Amino acid sequence: MANFILRKAEPRDVPDILRLIKELAKFEEMEEQVVLTETELLQDGFGEQPFYHCIMAEVPEDRRSSDGHTVVGFAMYYFTYDPWIGKMLYLEDFYVMKEYRGMAVHTQYIHSTAVKSRCSGMHFIVAEWNKPSIDFYKRRGASDLSHEEGWRLFEIDKEYLLKMSAK
Amino acid sequence: MDFMIRAATPEDCKDISRMIMELAVYENMPDQVKISHEVLEQDGFCKNPFFHCLVAEVAEQYRTTEGYTVIGYALFFYTYSTWKGRSVYMEDLYVMPEFRGEFPGKGVGTALMSKVAQVGKEQQCVRLQFSVLNWNTPSLDFYKAKGAQDLTDSEGWHVLRFDGEALDKLAQMAPKN
Repeated sequence: MANFILRKAEPRDVPDILRLIKELAKFEEMEEQVVLTETELLQDGFGEQPFYHCIMAEVPEDRRSSDGHTVVGFAMYYFTYDPWIGKMLYLEDFYVMKEYRGMAVHTQYIHSTAVKSRCSGMHFIVAEWNKPSIDFYKRRGASDLSHEEGWRLFEIDKEYLLKMSAK
Repeated sequence: MDFMIRAATPEDCKDISRMIMELAVYENMPDQVKISHEVLEQDGFCKNPFFHCLVAEVAEQYRTTEGYTVIGYALFFYTYSTWKGRSVYMEDLYVMPEFRGEFPGKGVGTALMSKVAQVGKEQQCVRLQFSVLNWNTPSLDFYKAKGAQDLTDSEGWHVLRFDGEALDKLAQMAPKN
């Protein structure tokens, strides 16, 4: 029997998705930043025009976690656009519960999302202090565009967004 | 006002394609542009479009020497933050040089970007993100003056990419189920 399966997320997965999002945020020491709710996840992922897509990793019943979960990981992605090369896939979040790591679930996610979408490239961002993740991606052939081309990520938050849209 | 901002139509793709190339030349990467205006038409105007676009158009009397009245664009799409939900990402913002700064009714770039912000707010987005090359001082100044924060600086984010052979290799290792 396989150690785990990967499958497309369904509406019933929303509570697990939020649980895993919070676990990953805890690892990144940003747990209090998660303000997203189950209602929003449901609307945004399973409405007419989804804002995201999700792949879940599930283990068989006999391998369920100590607190009773069989859904042990997720990968969230969406499509973006590069005006020079066209459709791109953006990997937003990618997480496996600690006790289920080492089964190559992480590796399988990337492969799975890359093959399904027939896109020209896959982008994602990594915090520069997260050396294990950076090494993981670089070993698989990812290039660090911040280093090589000098790209810097910017953000305009709610307050200024409001100011700007009021003009 | 001597210009207007409006949603792009499929017919605008030739102008958008032209300006994409102008922006690529400015960023010193013209040979990297691989797609045509036909691809833009397909990808931007299908049932679930992969991007949205706004264009800036000037009145006839301001048309360029080559006859263009569409003189700027903003290309954007929706993204998702697992912490905060819906976001808008502005991929390209460009105004032809002769319509920057001193142009009557100036502020074409600001108008385009404000409209992206407004569209984003209508879709309940909580933030607007974009990337700028570290040597592009005029743009860095423009954005910082509007309250943008450099997250690469403040939080250490790096942009990574898989493409070409690296992406193919990755895809080949996908599970069969």
